[in-house]
Amino acid sequence: MCIPEILFFKLHIFCEFSSIMKNLINFLIQYSVVFLFLLLEIISFTLIVKNQEYQKSVFLSSSNSMVSGMYEWSNSVVEFFKLRAANDNLSEENTSLKNQIINLQNKLSTLKPEASDSVHFRISPEMEYQFISAKVINCSTNKLQNYITLNKGAIDGIKMDMGVISDEGVVGIVKTVSERFSVVIPVLNPKIEISCKFKRSNYTGGLLWSGEDYRYANLTDIARHVELALGDTIITSSFTNSFPEGIPVGTIEDFKIKESDAYYKIKIKLAVNFRTLSHVKVINYLNFQEQKVLEKKSEE
Amino acid sequence: MPTVLQNIFRFLLLVLFQVLVLNNIQFLGYINPYVYILFILSLPVQLPRWFLLILAFTLGITIDIFSNTPGTHAFATVLVAFFREGIIKLFTNIEEGNNPTPSFYTFGVSGYIKYVVVMVLIHHATLFTLEAFSFVHFWIMVTKIILSSLVTLLLILGIQSIKTK
Repeated sequence: MCIPEILFFKLHIFCEFSSIMKNLINFLIQYSVVFLFLLLEIISFTLIVKNQEYQKSVFLSSSNSMVSGMYEWSNSVVEFFKLRAANDNLSEENTSLKNQIINLQNKLSTLKPEASDSVHFRISPEMEYQFISAKVINCSTNKLQNYITLNKGAIDGIKMDMGVISDEGVVGIVKTVSERFSVVIPVLNPKIEISCKFKRSNYTGGLLWSGEDYRYANLTDIARHVELALGDTIITSSFTNSFPEGIPVGTIEDFKIKESDAYYKIKIKLAVNFRTLSHVKVINYLNFQEQKVLEKKSEE
Repeated sequence: MPTVLQNIFRFLLLVLFQVLVLNNIQFLGYINPYVYILFILSLPVQLPRWFLLILAFTLGITIDIFSNTPGTHAFATVLVAFFREGIIKLFTNIEEGNNPTPSFYTFGVSGYIKYVVVMVLIHHATLFTLEAFSFVHFWIMVTKIILSSLVTLLLILGIQSIKTK
């Protein structure tokens, strides 16, 4: 007897439910554009906020192979006009390297006679570096956060956190690596701070970009008792594992200090001209892993 | 059909122009025009809004991928696409049933200029604010917005006045 009643009750609920659904669907259709708008904006915003993580995922950055391919193509056209300057740089570097070889050979020959069995020669471990040469295929200088794309990637031995230099000086640090391309965060990006020091006095400070001009950056943390002069050379300190000591960073263009300040405001003219950057070297520090593991162990 | 082809062509041309030419421009350190927005400006007036939004998102994300700024251009472009209909209604009176492509001829000179000015300002303001997201330099940002908008405007109006039809 009560079975039909239950059925009826179920039907009633179903009708109620379906009318609610209908209203809901109507509502959704009416405001579908607004919902779509909100959805797309939320997607975009999540992408912006998760920028850091997405930098690592290769798909949405310019180390994506299709995008890099196109940049490489466009670069092959533009590069033609930079050949002359690049050649000049290369020949200059060649000569300086040859000079170094001669110097080293001379030193070696003076050492040889005394190198009997008792003396043990060893290269100091922090000096074991190798260079991987690479070409810049995309480089921005006009954003608040700039990036550089290189045409070498994981198969050429490039890894995250390797330092990048050009013949003139420090360029930046490798951030993302895909199989054949990599993206570098240059000095012209407030996301990195490179530890540098004065060539003549060894005081260290951090190099930070001000976001305005691609030719200049600021040097922080230099206390007021340090003696400075315009034109002083700034080089990398040995405190960042990405760079060996002594790579040129820039020269002092201007410095200010107020009576009340404890630290100088120093403007550095960067050694590298990022607008004409075309060939760079990626530094492979062979003992990077060992040093990092050791340092981590002692922190624990 | 020709309008569809024309728009696809315009999309590709503007993206290439933006990525290969304009993204490399740095004048006085502040000026960084974004002319690709002309694609959204020139779509037919009666295009369904949902489709307009999706096109805007595609355009934005394409520019983003090329300039390593995930989300920023997409956000600004979708926003400006969302407000487009309202802005067109504000400055022009298009009759029902008509589906013109925005230009000097269809909107009238002053109507079209007002439309472009407002759209470009919304887009650039959003874009540079988002770009400065993690890096606060208020006055640099404002200068960038004003100067870049100005150059974008001149470029867009220049391109539009060269077109014969």
